[in-house]
Amino acid sequence: MDLSPTICTQGLTRRFGELVAVDNVNLRVAPGQFFGFLGPNGAGKSTTIKMLTGLLAPSAGRVEILGLDLNTDPVNVKRQIGVVPEGMALFGRLTGAEFLSFAGRMYGLDRATAAKRASELLDFMSLADQPKKLVTDYSHGMQKKLAMAAAVIHGPKVLFLDEPFEGVDAIAAGTLKSMLQGMIARGATIFLTSHVLEIVERLCSHVAIIHQGKLVAQGSLEELRAGVEAQTPAGSGDGAAASGEKLTLEQIFLRVVGGSRRTEMELSWLG
Amino acid sequence: MESSVHRRGQLIAIANLRWRMFVNGLRSRRGKMELLSRVIVTLAFTVGGFGGFAAATGFAWYFTSQNKDEFLPVLLWPIFFFWQVFPVMATAFTNNPDSSELLRFPLTYRSFFLVRLAYGMFDPASALSSASIIGILLGITVARPLLFPWALLALFTFGLFNLVLMQTVFAWVERWLAQRRTREVLGVLFILFMLSFQLIGPITASLDKHPRPELKRAIEIGARVQGALPPGLAGDAIAQAAHGQYGVGITSLLFLAVLTMAVGYLLHLRLRRQFRGENLSEAAARPLVVQSQMVQLGWELPGFSDSVGAIFEKEIRYLSRSGPMLLTLIMPIFMLVIFRLGPMNSMHQRSNFFNRAPDMAFPGVAAYALLVLTNLVYNSFGGEAAGIQFYYASPVAFRHIVLGKNLTHAAILVGNTFLAWIAVTLFYGQPTLAVSVATVAGLLFAAPLNFTAGNLLSLYSPRKRDFSTFGRQNVSQTTVLASLGVQIAVVGIGAAAFLIARLYKNLWIATLLFLALAIISWVLYAMVLKRLDGIAVERRETLLAELCRA
Repeated sequence: MDLSPTICTQGLTRRFGELVAVDNVNLRVAPGQFFGFLGPNGAGKSTTIKMLTGLLAPSAGRVEILGLDLNTDPVNVKRQIGVVPEGMALFGRLTGAEFLSFAGRMYGLDRATAAKRASELLDFMSLADQPKKLVTDYSHGMQKKLAMAAAVIHGPKVLFLDEPFEGVDAIAAGTLKSMLQGMIARGATIFLTSHVLEIVERLCSHVAIIHQGKLVAQGSLEELRAGVEAQTPAGSGDGAAASGEKLTLEQIFLRVVGGSRRTEMELSWLG
Repeated sequence: MESSVHRRGQLIAIANLRWRMFVNGLRSRRGKMELLSRVIVTLAFTVGGFGGFAAATGFAWYFTSQNKDEFLPVLLWPIFFFWQVFPVMATAFTNNPDSSELLRFPLTYRSFFLVRLAYGMFDPASALSSASIIGILLGITVARPLLFPWALLALFTFGLFNLVLMQTVFAWVERWLAQRRTREVLGVLFILFMLSFQLIGPITASLDKHPRPELKRAIEIGARVQGALPPGLAGDAIAQAAHGQYGVGITSLLFLAVLTMAVGYLLHLRLRRQFRGENLSEAAARPLVVQSQMVQLGWELPGFSDSVGAIFEKEIRYLSRSGPMLLTLIMPIFMLVIFRLGPMNSMHQRSNFFNRAPDMAFPGVAAYALLVLTNLVYNSFGGEAAGIQFYYASPVAFRHIVLGKNLTHAAILVGNTFLAWIAVTLFYGQPTLAVSVATVAGLLFAAPLNFTAGNLLSLYSPRKRDFSTFGRQNVSQTTVLASLGVQIAVVGIGAAAFLIARLYKNLWIATLLFLALAIISWVLYAMVLKRLDGIAVERRETLLAELCRA
């Protein structure tokens, strides 16, 4: 059994001037894992995913994907990964079909294969009904689906998704989830960030939490739950631990990150 | 009262926003380069503006002091043409930020309208033309100080008319280019306009052969017609006042004001729609029955890798869907038509350079074809927006991406040069083999040199641009300055080569010179292309930050 991690970072750090956005992060994602990467706004999630996909240079540290160093062998790494970055990386003045065909060829597919897969993906994503519509005229959800289709057209071994379900309706989200679960079943590794903790809890087998640039928790959901429960005395937190119920991912997240709610009284002028 | 205070507060906030954006832009090294370039470009424009100002002052003083006030329109017509034509001909210099991004705020329509006009005032064409108008005002005032208030009013109205007209032309051309049907109508109108130019030449040429009564009559009609148009009206308003006929002067001024309001109304029609959130999307209606269909095969580019072919196809598709860009690219042929068949050709045949040296027509148009390409070449990633992330995430070397883009630019240049050759053949007679070969050799030298500089500037000084808008672009002054420098060098070298060849009465000398220079520029191109992968990685954050911003 191959135990070498699919994604491995060592001392991954990124500074923007005096701000340390990502601080000495050591991630290990095993093959076939559905990995959720969580954190509050501005914690460093998108910065990390950009460094993992070659969109941003680290200030320090190493990134290895499928055993290849991203810094020294970026082209070979990129051939084997798919990315849906924060801005979706679409070309607005192409049609969906043209964009997918273009994406396939950029990832090394021949013209016939690119066209065939583009056609299948458009059908699968329910984007085939308006073939002449330009991407710029797509709704946000349609653009998300198209970005996802472009990221998988070459059959990547590793998929990086930054907020893949943001702005996607329930039907489309269901389609995307079943596609991602299918990929996992066929041995791919998926690394995603999301603010929707219920989705992460339902899909992901392993989770990491980043806070103020530092990795504060990493492991399977059970490992995280056990770790949090061990640190928190019974009855001191929300009712879950005290009542013997399993902690939800949201509860784990809030305890790890230490978030506190502000009251509406602070903004008394709001209508 | 409260709303006017509120409006004033908004306008101050917008002015402050532009200022803060400018100051914050200086924090980076690129921002400092931009400031330096802006200073140099401003100095260059100031020299031009001062030249126009001095000439306008001198001529206005002469006409007014010699009681030849009726000649004032002679000064106003060039200003009018420059103000309206320069921004269309040289869109690379047009710096006109998009005011529609302010629509998310509770801006009143009046403020939106004013902001649009205010943005237009900072365009180089507006600044230079305004300098000349101030020059005319100064000349008139020095010659006859009592005319100052009247001249100020007339020239201010004339300036306002031009400012409003420029914004109206841009707004409406953008509207017409946005959708296929209106694009086709505009295309037909454009062809009719070109054909109408063809009539001017023969008509005035025949008048030239039998000059006496017909020419006199034509000049009279021309003078009467121009008198009813804005430059003529402004000039007439001042001239009539100078002769003490204030009643007639007021009529001209009122008529000019009415025209300004009419054009302003046309602008209002456009801006009102933009203000209400107009969407000019061409999306087709959703079909009742959804049919699965096979995606067409991508294009193949023989001799190049599949990824280069994909980039080439993508670039051509992008350009073919950009009306503003297509309009820019056909400008060389349009300018040739104006040169050959326009009034400046027919009235004084010898004053037209191409008439005196028809063998220079083909090289001239080919050089202009290369010039209009700078819009694309010097900011070749500007239209990608967030798509730039795709390039960085894909396993394709950046030099291949740039090569695909350069092949598109080269294909456009070849197409435009071929069309130019046909147009020159029709208008000036077939260029000789020596001229044709020398021109192609000149392009073989100039194109890779421009591509080299353009590729570097596309990575070092990128600016996000919207292919669907006309004129509302925020251009990089560094790029403008650098491309201007390259163009001056290329045109200078080209002119020198042709001059030497004409001196020795053998155009093949020019060909040899160009081919020798072409070898150097191709080597330079290959060297820079090879280094682009490294530069792209080095410039990754700047490119992504600039092009992916909302």
